Amino acid sequence: MLWYEMTGKENDVVVSSRVRLARNLADYPFGGRLNEPSALEIIEKVRGVFDGASGYSFTQFNMLSDTSRRAEADRHKVSPEFAAKKTPTALIESDEKQIYIMVLEEDHLRIQSIKPGASLSEAYAAALEADRMIDGKLRIAYDEKLGYLTHCPTNLGTGMRASVMLFLPAITATRGIRSLQDQLGKIGLTIRGMSGEGSSGDGCLYQVSNQITLGTTEEEIITKLEKICENIAEKERELRRKYFSDEKFNDKAMRAYGTMLYAILMDSVEMTKLYSDVRLAAALGMIDGLNVNVLDKMLICGMPGVLTEENENINTPTDRDRERANMIRRVLSGNAGA
Amino acid sequence: MLCEKCNKNPATVMYKENINGHVKSFALCAKCASELTEMTGYGKSVYSQGDSLGDVFENVNSLFGSLFGLPAQQVRRQTGEEKKCTLCGAAFAELVKEGKVGCPECYKVFAEELAPTISRIHGTGVHMGTAPERYKEGRERKEKIAELESKLKRAVEAEEYEEAAKLRDELRKLKSEEGDK
Ligand SMILES: [Zn+2]
Ligand SMILES: [Zn+2]
Repeated sequence: MLWYEMTGKENDVVVSSRVRLARNLADYPFGGRLNEPSALEIIEKVRGVFDGASGYSFTQFNMLSDTSRRAEADRHKVSPEFAAKKTPTALIESDEKQIYIMVLEEDHLRIQSIKPGASLSEAYAAALEADRMIDGKLRIAYDEKLGYLTHCPTNLGTGMRASVMLFLPAITATRGIRSLQDQLGKIGLTIRGMSGEGSSGDGCLYQVSNQITLGTTEEEIITKLEKICENIAEKERELRRKYFSDEKFNDKAMRAYGTMLYAILMDSVEMTKLYSDVRLAAALGMIDGLNVNVLDKMLICGMPGVLTEENENINTPTDRDRERANMIRRVLSGNAGA
Repeated sequence: MLCEKCNKNPATVMYKENINGHVKSFALCAKCASELTEMTGYGKSVYSQGDSLGDVFENVNSLFGSLFGLPAQQVRRQTGEEKKCTLCGAAFAELVKEGKVGCPECYKVFAEELAPTISRIHGTGVHMGTAPERYKEGRERKEKIAELESKLKRAVEAEEYEEAAKLRDELRKLKSEEGDK
């Protein structure tokens, strides 16, 4: 199952957890220096590793339509940069294990696992499993001092980027993101808004990740991130109780929920705004039986790529807004509370 | 080195700007660098799945010159035109221009030239994390050798010569295995 179809731990604050390992084959150049025959050779080699491995499927990714590639990025299975590439790329995926291996992204291999809620350790374990499968069969570029060798030196060492997606409406509203950013910077972590920092239209979603990859172990990175995210979540909850448990917010959120349930046309900016208020209210238990992960699913399914892929009859922006409103109603009515 | 913009955080990125052929470069911390790219509109993909910071750095490189501190011409003078990577054929000046490394072998060929950049990004640490299977045996042996060496030193200091002789034999055996590889 895809991460947004499941209920994760701590999901009142933690939306998803992701681990990405950068790996390269020792005998091939990186990026622009890799010619097409070599690129295809790499794809064949990696395909060979997973040939017959149960649960994994292979796609020649650059052959998919623009819409499908975009949709996979919207679902957070691949990076937007990977989705945009026209040169040979491949995706080896297992929705069941929640492992997605991008072949020929910036590095030859980017092994990625994304899981719902607070589950960094689980995501790392999954990525490591795929890493070990590859390591047994291909010669991976590695140096005893520098660790895994990567196209960009920013990824040397573990080659690992671990990130946690957090929903922080209360910290955002109380203007705490800036100071959070400063504090995280001092300990080698970073926080970034998911859709243009601090803009009122965003869903109050942020990604916290490690910045340093060399000179530290994978476990240290994971433990540190887990611990910090727990602290941030506690702070967020405290502020929610203090500023958002009143009748006034309850009223605002229920109106937003009403709009979700009854709108005929919905653009993505409005959806994201409503998402934030309704998700916060649901997390505070203001909406009977509405699970926050239903809202996360709604947000992903309302992304332009996913929406267009799943509805063949979309030709105009208005068609899209209509289908989005239909989808939202469908997703919410599949939920007991609606 | 401290960030030249905020003077608070350690500088990890070399940020270059080319204004009408006049190149200015600043050493920035990750935060200030990401603010700059945010201002120029890059690294802002909606619901970006990519690494937050990684991508920002990479955008900084490709857009504004390179992560590698030195201007290309200066590098050429220092390294000479001749030195080329044995696998990908790149000269160091080309890596500087591209802001990325050409292939895994480049890290060996240009180890010296790359070292300042790497320590600017990551500090002076060496890799501590997991390793490919084929390196694990060697790594365990290295750890064992280091352990025996410190034991030997202590034994000699304590004048426990019998123990020291035993340790020396063990060390010799491990080191010869290392040589076989
Ligand atoms: Zn700074
Ligand atoms: Zn090279």
